Amino acid sequence: MIKGFLLMASVLLLSGCAVKDVQPWEKETLAKDTMKNGAGNALMTKFENHIYFSKEGSKGGGGVAGGGCGCN
Amino acid sequence: MQLKTKLSIIASSLIVASSLAAEDYVSVQFVQYDESDDRASVSTPSIEFSKDFGVDYNLKLGLVADSISGGSPTWFDTTSGASAYSRGEDIHKDDVAYGNVEYDDKRVAGSALFTTRFASRDELAVGLNYSRETDYEARELSAEYLYYLGSSKNQSLSLGLSYQFNNVLVECIENEACDANSGASQTLDVNVVSAEVGFTQILNQNSLAKASIFYSNEDGYLSNPYMNVVRSYNPNSSIVDVVAENKPDTRVSYGATLQYIVALTDQISSNSTYRFYDDDWDIMSHTISSELYYELGRSWILGAGLRYYTQSEAKFYRAGYFGDEMYASSDERMRDFDAWGYKINADYLITNALSVNVGLNFYDQQDTFNATYYNIGLKYSF
Repeated sequence: MIKGFLLMASVLLLSGCAVKDVQPWEKETLAKDTMKNGAGNALMTKFENHIYFSKEGSKGGGGVAGGGCGCN
Repeated sequence: MQLKTKLSIIASSLIVASSLAAEDYVSVQFVQYDESDDRASVSTPSIEFSKDFGVDYNLKLGLVADSISGGSPTWFDTTSGASAYSRGEDIHKDDVAYGNVEYDDKRVAGSALFTTRFASRDELAVGLNYSRETDYEARELSAEYLYYLGSSKNQSLSLGLSYQFNNVLVECIENEACDANSGASQTLDVNVVSAEVGFTQILNQNSLAKASIFYSNEDGYLSNPYMNVVRSYNPNSSIVDVVAENKPDTRVSYGATLQYIVALTDQISSNSTYRFYDDDWDIMSHTISSELYYELGRSWILGAGLRYYTQSEAKFYRAGYFGDEMYASSDERMRDFDAWGYKINADYLITNALSVNVGLNFYDQQDTFNATYYNIGLKYSF
Protein backbone atom coordinates (compact mmCIF):
# COMPACT_ATOMS: atom_id res chain seq x y z
CA MET A 1 0.00 0.00 0.00
CA ILE A 2 2.75 2.44 0.97
CA LYS A 3 4.55 1.48 -2.22
CA GLY A 4 1.44 2.51 -4.13
CA PHE A 5 1.43 5.89 -2.44
CA LEU A 6 5.12 6.43 -3.18
CA LEU A 7 4.51 5.44 -6.79
CA MET A 8 1.71 7.99 -7.15
CA ALA A 9 3.82 10.67 -5.46
CA SER A 10 6.67 9.91 -7.85
CA VAL A 11 4.36 10.20 -10.85
CA LEU A 12 3.16 13.56 -9.59
CA LEU A 13 6.69 14.81 -8.99
CA LEU A 14 7.86 13.57 -12.38
CA SER A 15 4.94 15.34 -14.01
CA GLY A 16 6.70 18.50 -12.80
CA CYS A 17 9.16 17.89 -15.62
CA ALA A 18 6.36 18.75 -18.05
CA VAL A 19 5.35 21.95 -16.27
CA LYS A 20 4.66 24.90 -18.52
CA ASP A 21 4.88 28.51 -17.36
CA VAL A 22 1.25 29.55 -17.77
CA GLN A 23 0.51 33.26 -18.13
CA PRO A 24 -2.44 34.89 -16.34
CA TRP A 25 -4.42 35.32 -19.58
CA GLU A 26 -4.03 31.59 -20.28
CA LYS A 27 -5.88 30.49 -17.14
CA GLU A 28 -9.46 30.69 -18.38
CA THR A 29 -9.93 26.91 -18.42
CA LEU A 30 -8.29 26.55 -14.99
CA ALA A 31 -10.76 29.09 -13.56
CA LYS A 32 -13.84 27.10 -14.57
CA ASP A 33 -16.13 25.67 -11.89
CA THR A 34 -15.57 22.22 -13.38
CA MET A 35 -11.90 22.48 -12.38
CA LYS A 36 -12.83 22.91 -8.72
CA ASN A 37 -13.73 20.32 -6.10
CA GLY A 38 -17.37 19.26 -6.51
CA ALA A 39 -17.60 21.58 -9.54
CA GLY A 40 -17.79 24.52 -7.14
CA ASN A 41 -20.70 23.17 -5.06
CA ALA A 42 -19.06 23.81 -1.69
CA LEU A 43 -22.15 22.98 0.35
CA MET A 44 -22.47 19.52 -1.17
CA THR A 45 -18.74 18.84 -0.83
CA LYS A 46 -19.00 19.74 2.85
CA PHE A 47 -22.00 17.44 3.31
CA GLU A 48 -20.23 14.51 1.62
CA ASN A 49 -17.17 14.95 3.83
CA HIS A 50 -19.50 14.98 6.83
CA ILE A 51 -20.98 11.62 5.77
CA TYR A 52 -17.58 10.01 5.31
CA PHE A 53 -16.35 11.41 8.62
CA SER A 54 -19.35 10.05 10.50
CA LYS A 55 -19.45 6.62 8.81
CA GLU A 56 -15.77 5.73 8.45
CA GLY A 57 -12.82 5.40 10.77
CA SER A 58 -10.57 8.03 9.23
CA LYS A 59 -10.73 11.69 8.32
CA GLY A 60 -8.64 14.65 7.19
CA GLY A 61 -6.97 15.87 4.04
CA GLY A 62 -9.75 18.21 2.92
CA GLY A 63 -8.52 21.36 4.65
CA VAL A 64 -8.31 22.22 8.33
CA ALA A 65 -11.60 24.11 8.70
CA GLY A 66 -14.25 21.44 8.95
CA GLY A 67 -16.08 22.10 12.19
CA GLY A 68 -16.96 19.39 14.68
CA CYS A 69 -19.89 17.17 15.44
CA GLY A 70 -20.89 14.46 17.87
CA CYS A 71 -20.83 11.82 15.15
CA ASN A 72 -17.48 10.28 16.03
CA MET B 1 1.59 43.23 -36.22
CA GLN B 2 3.06 44.03 -32.80
CA LEU B 3 0.05 46.26 -31.99
CA LYS B 4 -2.28 43.45 -33.05
CA THR B 5 -0.53 41.04 -30.69
CA LYS B 6 -0.73 43.50 -27.79
CA LEU B 7 -4.42 44.12 -28.40
CA SER B 8 -4.98 40.39 -28.51
CA ILE B 9 -3.23 39.95 -25.15
CA ILE B 10 -5.23 42.80 -23.58
CA ALA B 11 -8.48 41.36 -24.89
CA SER B 12 -7.58 37.90 -23.59
CA SER B 13 -6.66 39.35 -20.22
CA LEU B 14 -10.00 41.12 -19.96
CA ILE B 15 -11.90 37.94 -20.79
CA VAL B 16 -9.92 35.96 -18.23
CA ALA B 17 -10.18 38.72 -15.62
CA SER B 18 -13.95 38.65 -15.84
CA SER B 19 -14.03 34.87 -15.50
CA LEU B 20 -11.53 34.91 -12.65
CA ALA B 21 -13.30 37.64 -10.71
CA ALA B 22 -14.78 36.17 -7.56
CA GLU B 23 -18.53 36.45 -7.58
CA ASP B 24 -20.83 37.27 -4.71
CA TYR B 25 -23.47 34.64 -4.21
CA VAL B 26 -26.09 33.03 -2.04
CA SER B 27 -26.36 29.27 -2.30
CA VAL B 28 -28.97 27.00 -0.72
CA GLN B 29 -28.93 23.22 -0.67
CA PHE B 30 -31.23 20.53 0.65
CA VAL B 31 -30.01 16.97 1.18
CA GLN B 32 -32.09 13.95 2.14
CA TYR B 33 -29.98 11.01 3.34
CA ASP B 34 -31.48 7.55 4.07
CA GLU B 35 -29.71 4.37 5.17
CA SER B 36 -30.92 0.84 4.60
CA ASP B 37 -32.32 -1.44 7.35
CA ASP B 38 -34.05 1.36 9.26
CA ARG B 39 -30.78 2.98 10.19
CA ALA B 40 -30.17 6.74 10.07
CA SER B 41 -32.23 9.26 8.09
CA VAL B 42 -30.96 12.82 7.87
CA SER B 43 -32.63 15.92 6.40
CA THR B 44 -30.20 18.76 5.90
CA PRO B 45 -31.04 22.24 4.63
CA SER B 46 -28.02 24.56 4.35
CA ILE B 47 -27.20 28.04 3.11
CA GLU B 48 -23.96 29.78 2.20
CA PHE B 49 -23.36 33.46 1.54
CA SER B 50 -20.20 34.87 -0.03
CA LYS B 51 -19.43 38.58 -0.40
CA ASP B 52 -16.33 40.39 -1.66
CA PHE B 53 -15.39 43.73 -0.15
CA GLY B 54 -13.27 45.35 -2.84
CA VAL B 55 -10.59 43.07 -4.23
CA ASP B 56 -8.81 42.41 -0.95
CA TYR B 57 -11.45 40.98 1.36
CA ASN B 58 -14.04 38.23 1.25
CA LEU B 59 -16.51 36.99 3.82
CA LYS B 60 -18.26 33.61 3.71
CA LEU B 61 -21.04 32.71 6.09
CA GLY B 62 -22.69 29.31 6.34
CA LEU B 63 -25.54 27.75 8.25
CA VAL B 64 -26.52 24.06 8.36
CA ALA B 65 -29.32 22.27 10.22
CA ASP B 66 -29.41 18.48 10.51
CA SER B 67 -32.48 16.58 11.61
CA ILE B 68 -31.41 13.02 12.40
CA SER B 69 -33.56 10.00 13.25
CA GLY B 70 -33.44 6.23 12.99
CA GLY B 71 -31.34 3.52 14.57
CA SER B 72 -27.68 2.91 15.30
CA PRO B 73 -26.34 -0.63 15.83
CA THR B 74 -24.84 -1.62 19.19
CA TRP B 75 -25.14 -4.23 21.96
CA PHE B 76 -27.97 -3.89 24.48
CA ASP B 77 -29.80 -5.70 27.28
CA THR B 78 -33.09 -6.86 25.73
CA THR B 79 -34.83 -7.06 29.09
CA SER B 80 -34.60 -3.28 29.48
CA GLY B 81 -35.39 -2.40 25.88
CA ALA B 82 -33.53 -1.41 22.71
CA SER B 83 -31.90 1.68 24.13
CA ALA B 84 -28.27 2.77 24.12
CA TYR B 85 -28.52 2.95 27.89
CA SER B 86 -29.86 -0.62 28.18
CA ARG B 87 -26.74 -1.63 30.02
CA GLY B 88 -26.18 -3.73 33.10
CA GLU B 89 -24.10 -6.32 34.86
CA ASP B 90 -24.74 -10.03 35.43
CA ILE B 91 -27.00 -10.42 32.41
CA HIS B 92 -27.67 -13.81 30.85
CA LYS B 93 -26.20 -14.17 27.35
CA ASP B 94 -29.64 -14.99 25.97
CA ASP B 95 -30.82 -11.55 27.05
CA VAL B 96 -28.12 -9.72 25.09
CA ALA B 97 -28.62 -8.66 21.48
CA TYR B 98 -26.84 -6.66 18.81
CA GLY B 99 -29.12 -4.41 16.80
CA ASN B 100 -30.40 -0.94 16.14
CA VAL B 101 -31.12 1.29 19.09
CA GLU B 102 -33.35 4.22 18.20
CA TYR B 103 -32.21 7.80 18.46
CA ASP B 104 -33.01 11.21 17.11
CA ASP B 105 -31.17 14.48 17.29
CA LYS B 106 -31.00 17.94 15.79
CA ARG B 107 -27.80 19.73 14.92
CA VAL B 108 -27.27 23.35 14.01
CA ALA B 109 -23.89 24.51 12.75
CA GLY B 110 -22.67 27.95 11.71
CA SER B 111 -19.43 28.99 10.05
CA ALA B 112 -17.68 32.23 9.14
CA LEU B 113 -14.57 32.54 7.01
CA PHE B 114 -12.86 35.88 6.46
CA THR B 115 -10.17 36.09 3.77
CA THR B 116 -7.65 38.89 3.37
CA ARG B 117 -5.58 39.26 0.21
CA PHE B 118 -2.26 41.09 0.49
CA ALA B 119 -0.47 43.20 -2.15
CA SER B 120 1.42 40.07 -3.23
CA ARG B 121 -2.06 38.42 -3.59
CA ASP B 122 -1.12 35.92 -0.89
CA GLU B 123 -4.15 35.10 1.22
CA LEU B 124 -4.88 34.68 4.90
CA ALA B 125 -8.21 33.04 5.75
CA VAL B 126 -9.45 32.97 9.34
CA GLY B 127 -12.44 30.81 10.18
CA LEU B 128 -14.82 30.17 13.03
CA ASN B 129 -17.10 27.13 13.27
CA TYR B 130 -19.73 26.39 15.86
CA SER B 131 -21.93 23.32 16.07
CA ARG B 132 -24.53 22.34 18.64
CA GLU B 133 -26.48 19.13 19.25
CA THR B 134 -28.43 17.92 22.25
CA ASP B 135 -25.39 16.19 23.65
CA TYR B 136 -22.47 17.75 21.81
CA GLU B 137 -21.06 21.23 21.35
CA ALA B 138 -18.13 22.01 19.06
CA ARG B 139 -16.15 25.22 18.60
CA GLU B 140 -13.36 25.61 16.10
CA LEU B 141 -10.87 28.32 15.20
CA SER B 142 -8.88 27.91 12.00
CA ALA B 143 -6.35 29.87 9.96
CA GLU B 144 -4.90 29.15 6.54
CA TYR B 145 -2.16 31.06 4.73
CA LEU B 146 -1.75 30.78 0.95
CA TYR B 147 1.67 31.78 -0.33
CA TYR B 148 2.35 32.14 -4.05
CA LEU B 149 5.77 31.10 -5.26
CA GLY B 150 6.79 33.41 -8.09
CA SER B 151 5.05 36.24 -9.90
CA SER B 152 3.19 34.04 -12.40
CA LYS B 153 1.35 32.38 -9.49
CA ASN B 154 1.62 28.93 -10.99
CA GLN B 155 2.84 27.44 -7.73
CA SER B 156 1.54 27.98 -4.24
CA LEU B 157 2.09 26.69 -0.74
CA SER B 158 -0.60 26.63 1.89
CA LEU B 159 -0.37 26.14 5.63
CA GLY B 160 -3.50 25.52 7.68
CA LEU B 161 -3.97 25.16 11.42
CA SER B 162 -7.09 24.58 13.46
CA TYR B 163 -8.02 24.09 17.07
CA GLN B 164 -11.29 22.47 18.07
CA PHE B 165 -12.72 22.54 21.57
CA ASN B 166 -15.69 20.21 22.03
CA ASN B 167 -17.96 19.23 24.92
CA VAL B 168 -19.78 15.93 25.01
CA LEU B 169 -22.56 15.04 27.42
CA VAL B 170 -22.20 11.44 28.67
CA GLU B 171 -23.80 9.22 31.27
CA CYS B 172 -21.71 9.45 34.43
CA ILE B 173 -18.41 7.64 34.45
CA GLU B 174 -17.27 6.70 37.95
CA ASN B 175 -14.84 9.38 39.11
CA GLU B 176 -14.49 12.05 41.76
CA ALA B 177 -16.96 14.36 40.08
CA CYS B 178 -19.67 11.90 39.20
CA ASP B 179 -21.31 8.82 40.68
CA ALA B 180 -21.90 6.23 37.95
CA ASN B 181 -24.86 4.80 39.84
CA SER B 182 -26.65 8.13 40.09
CA GLY B 183 -28.01 8.07 36.52
CA ALA B 184 -26.77 11.63 36.07
CA SER B 185 -24.77 12.99 33.15
CA GLN B 186 -21.51 14.86 33.00
CA THR B 187 -19.77 17.02 30.41
CA LEU B 188 -16.40 15.88 29.11
CA ASP B 189 -13.94 17.64 26.79
CA VAL B 190 -12.53 16.71 23.41
CA ASN B 191 -9.68 18.85 22.05
CA VAL B 192 -8.48 18.50 18.47
CA VAL B 193 -5.44 20.19 16.89
CA SER B 194 -5.09 19.79 13.12
CA ALA B 195 -2.49 20.97 10.64
CA GLU B 196 -2.21 20.69 6.88
CA VAL B 197 0.49 21.77 4.44
CA GLY B 198 -0.33 21.84 0.74
CA PHE B 199 1.45 22.47 -2.53
CA THR B 200 -0.34 23.33 -5.77
CA GLN B 201 1.32 23.32 -9.19
CA ILE B 202 -0.31 24.50 -12.40
CA LEU B 203 1.06 22.08 -14.96
CA ASN B 204 -0.20 23.77 -18.11
CA GLN B 205 -3.24 25.71 -19.39
CA ASN B 206 -5.48 22.70 -18.83
CA SER B 207 -4.26 20.90 -15.73
CA LEU B 208 -3.02 21.28 -12.19
CA ALA B 209 -1.86 19.02 -9.37
CA LYS B 210 -2.11 19.35 -5.63
CA ALA B 211 -0.31 17.49 -2.86
CA SER B 212 -0.79 17.87 0.84
CA ILE B 213 0.16 16.27 4.13
CA PHE B 214 -2.03 16.50 7.22
CA TYR B 215 -1.78 15.79 10.93
CA SER B 216 -4.30 15.65 13.73
CA ASN B 217 -4.07 15.18 17.48
CA GLU B 218 -7.29 14.38 19.39
CA ASP B 219 -7.37 14.38 23.15
CA GLY B 220 -10.25 13.74 25.55
CA TYR B 221 -13.37 11.58 25.58
CA LEU B 222 -13.15 9.91 22.16
CA SER B 223 -15.62 7.10 22.84
CA ASN B 224 -19.15 7.22 21.54
CA PRO B 225 -21.51 7.63 24.53
CA TYR B 226 -24.16 5.46 22.82
CA MET B 227 -21.96 2.50 21.91
CA ASN B 228 -21.85 -0.58 24.15
CA VAL B 229 -19.68 -3.69 24.38
CA VAL B 230 -20.26 -7.06 26.03
CA ARG B 231 -17.69 -8.21 28.58
CA SER B 232 -17.52 -11.89 29.49
CA TYR B 233 -15.03 -12.47 32.30
CA ASN B 234 -15.56 -16.22 32.55
CA PRO B 235 -15.82 -18.17 29.27
CA ASN B 236 -17.57 -21.02 31.09
CA SER B 237 -20.29 -18.76 32.44
CA SER B 238 -23.47 -17.60 30.73
CA ILE B 239 -23.39 -14.33 32.63
CA VAL B 240 -22.01 -11.20 30.94
CA ASP B 241 -21.92 -7.42 31.40
CA VAL B 242 -23.20 -4.88 28.86
CA VAL B 243 -21.18 -1.71 29.41
CA ALA B 244 -20.19 1.47 27.58
CA GLU B 245 -17.40 1.12 25.03
CA ASN B 246 -14.00 2.53 25.95
CA LYS B 247 -11.75 3.96 23.25
CA PRO B 248 -8.34 5.47 24.06
CA ASP B 249 -8.33 9.11 25.21
CA THR B 250 -5.84 10.20 22.59
CA ARG B 251 -5.53 9.69 18.86
CA VAL B 252 -2.73 10.88 16.61
CA SER B 253 -3.27 10.64 12.88
CA TYR B 254 -1.49 11.76 9.76
CA GLY B 255 -1.84 11.33 6.03
CA ALA B 256 -1.34 12.70 2.57
CA THR B 257 -3.45 13.55 -0.44
CA LEU B 258 -2.62 13.80 -4.11
CA GLN B 259 -5.00 15.41 -6.57
CA TYR B 260 -4.88 15.82 -10.34
CA ILE B 261 -7.40 17.99 -12.19
CA VAL B 262 -7.38 18.13 -15.96
CA ALA B 263 -9.55 19.51 -18.76
CA LEU B 264 -9.51 16.63 -21.23
CA THR B 265 -11.32 18.64 -23.90
CA ASP B 266 -13.10 22.02 -23.97
CA GLN B 267 -16.18 20.31 -22.50
CA ILE B 268 -14.84 17.45 -20.38
CA SER B 269 -12.76 17.63 -17.22
CA SER B 270 -11.76 15.11 -14.58
CA ASN B 271 -10.76 15.44 -10.94
CA SER B 272 -8.92 12.49 -9.35
CA THR B 273 -7.80 12.22 -5.74
CA TYR B 274 -5.91 9.70 -3.65
CA ARG B 275 -5.74 9.94 0.15
CA PHE B 276 -3.56 7.94 2.50
CA TYR B 277 -4.35 7.91 6.24
CA ASP B 278 -2.74 6.27 9.28
CA ASP B 279 -3.24 6.61 13.03
CA ASP B 280 -2.08 5.15 16.34
CA TRP B 281 -5.34 3.19 16.73
CA ASP B 282 -3.94 1.01 13.90
CA ILE B 283 -6.45 2.28 11.36
CA MET B 284 -4.85 2.74 7.98
CA SER B 285 -7.01 3.77 5.06
CA HIS B 286 -6.79 4.45 1.34
CA THR B 287 -9.32 6.50 -0.60
CA ILE B 288 -9.44 6.88 -4.35
CA SER B 289 -12.04 9.09 -5.97
CA SER B 290 -12.64 10.40 -9.43
CA GLU B 291 -15.17 12.83 -10.86
CA LEU B 292 -15.94 13.58 -14.46
CA TYR B 293 -17.73 16.73 -15.67
CA TYR B 294 -19.24 17.44 -19.05
CA GLU B 295 -20.33 20.93 -20.15
CA LEU B 296 -23.32 20.59 -22.44
CA GLY B 297 -23.88 23.84 -24.28
CA ARG B 298 -23.73 27.02 -22.21
CA SER B 299 -26.30 26.00 -19.62
CA TRP B 300 -25.63 22.44 -18.47
CA ILE B 301 -22.89 20.78 -16.45
CA LEU B 302 -23.35 17.03 -16.04
CA GLY B 303 -21.23 15.14 -13.54
CA ALA B 304 -20.51 11.60 -12.41
CA GLY B 305 -18.29 10.38 -9.60
CA LEU B 306 -16.85 7.17 -8.21
CA ARG B 307 -15.18 6.66 -4.82
CA TYR B 308 -13.47 3.64 -3.28
CA TYR B 309 -12.47 3.47 0.39
CA THR B 310 -10.74 0.74 2.37
CA GLN B 311 -9.53 0.68 5.98
CA SER B 312 -7.87 -1.68 8.44
CA GLU B 313 -9.21 -2.59 11.88
CA ALA B 314 -8.57 -0.60 15.07
CA LYS B 315 -6.50 -2.51 17.61
CA PHE B 316 -9.29 -2.46 20.21
CA TYR B 317 -12.16 -3.51 17.91
CA ARG B 318 -14.02 -6.78 18.25
CA ALA B 319 -17.41 -7.75 16.90
CA GLY B 320 -17.91 -10.31 19.66
CA TYR B 321 -17.37 -10.37 23.42
CA PHE B 322 -14.47 -8.78 25.29
CA GLY B 323 -12.79 -9.87 28.52
CA ASP B 324 -11.19 -7.35 30.85
CA GLU B 325 -9.25 -5.44 28.18
CA MET B 326 -8.95 -1.75 29.03
CA TYR B 327 -9.92 -0.55 25.55
CA ALA B 328 -12.91 -2.17 23.91
CA SER B 329 -15.21 -1.15 21.08
CA SER B 330 -17.67 -2.92 18.79
CA ASP B 331 -18.22 0.28 16.81
CA GLU B 332 -18.58 -0.87 13.19
CA ARG B 333 -16.55 2.10 12.00
CA MET B 334 -13.52 0.61 13.76
CA ARG B 335 -13.59 -2.69 11.80
CA ASP B 336 -11.84 -3.36 8.50
CA PHE B 337 -14.08 -2.80 5.52
CA ASP B 338 -14.35 -1.53 1.97
CA ALA B 339 -16.89 1.03 0.76
CA TRP B 340 -17.96 2.28 -2.64
CA GLY B 341 -19.61 5.56 -3.49
CA TYR B 342 -21.34 6.55 -6.73
CA LYS B 343 -22.89 9.85 -7.76
CA ILE B 344 -24.44 11.67 -10.67
CA ASN B 345 -25.39 15.32 -10.75
CA ALA B 346 -26.53 18.09 -13.03
CA ASP B 347 -26.21 21.84 -12.84
CA TYR B 348 -28.44 24.03 -15.02
CA LEU B 349 -27.90 27.74 -15.59
CA ILE B 350 -31.40 29.25 -15.69
CA THR B 351 -30.17 32.81 -16.19
CA ASN B 352 -26.71 34.36 -15.94
CA ALA B 353 -27.35 34.89 -12.23
CA LEU B 354 -29.35 31.85 -11.23
CA SER B 355 -28.54 28.15 -11.42
CA VAL B 356 -30.15 25.00 -10.06
CA ASN B 357 -28.42 21.72 -9.23
CA VAL B 358 -29.65 18.22 -8.48
CA GLY B 359 -27.74 15.09 -7.54
CA LEU B 360 -28.29 11.44 -6.71
CA ASN B 361 -25.75 9.54 -4.61
CA PHE B 362 -25.31 5.96 -3.45
CA TYR B 363 -22.93 4.77 -0.72
CA ASP B 364 -22.35 1.08 -0.04
CA GLN B 365 -20.37 -0.07 2.99
CA GLN B 366 -19.41 -3.72 2.77
CA ASP B 367 -21.59 -6.15 4.80
CA THR B 368 -23.29 -3.51 6.93
CA PHE B 369 -25.42 -0.90 5.21
CA ASN B 370 -25.93 1.25 2.18
CA ALA B 371 -27.25 4.77 1.89
CA THR B 372 -29.02 6.74 -0.79
CA TYR B 373 -29.05 10.49 -0.72
CA TYR B 374 -30.20 13.17 -3.09
CA ASN B 375 -29.58 16.88 -3.16
CA ILE B 376 -31.26 19.85 -4.77
CA GLY B 377 -29.97 23.39 -4.62
CA LEU B 378 -30.06 26.92 -6.00
CA LYS B 379 -27.28 29.43 -6.44
CA TYR B 380 -27.89 33.12 -7.03
CA SER B 381 -24.90 35.23 -8.07
CA PHE B 382 -24.86 39.01 -7.86
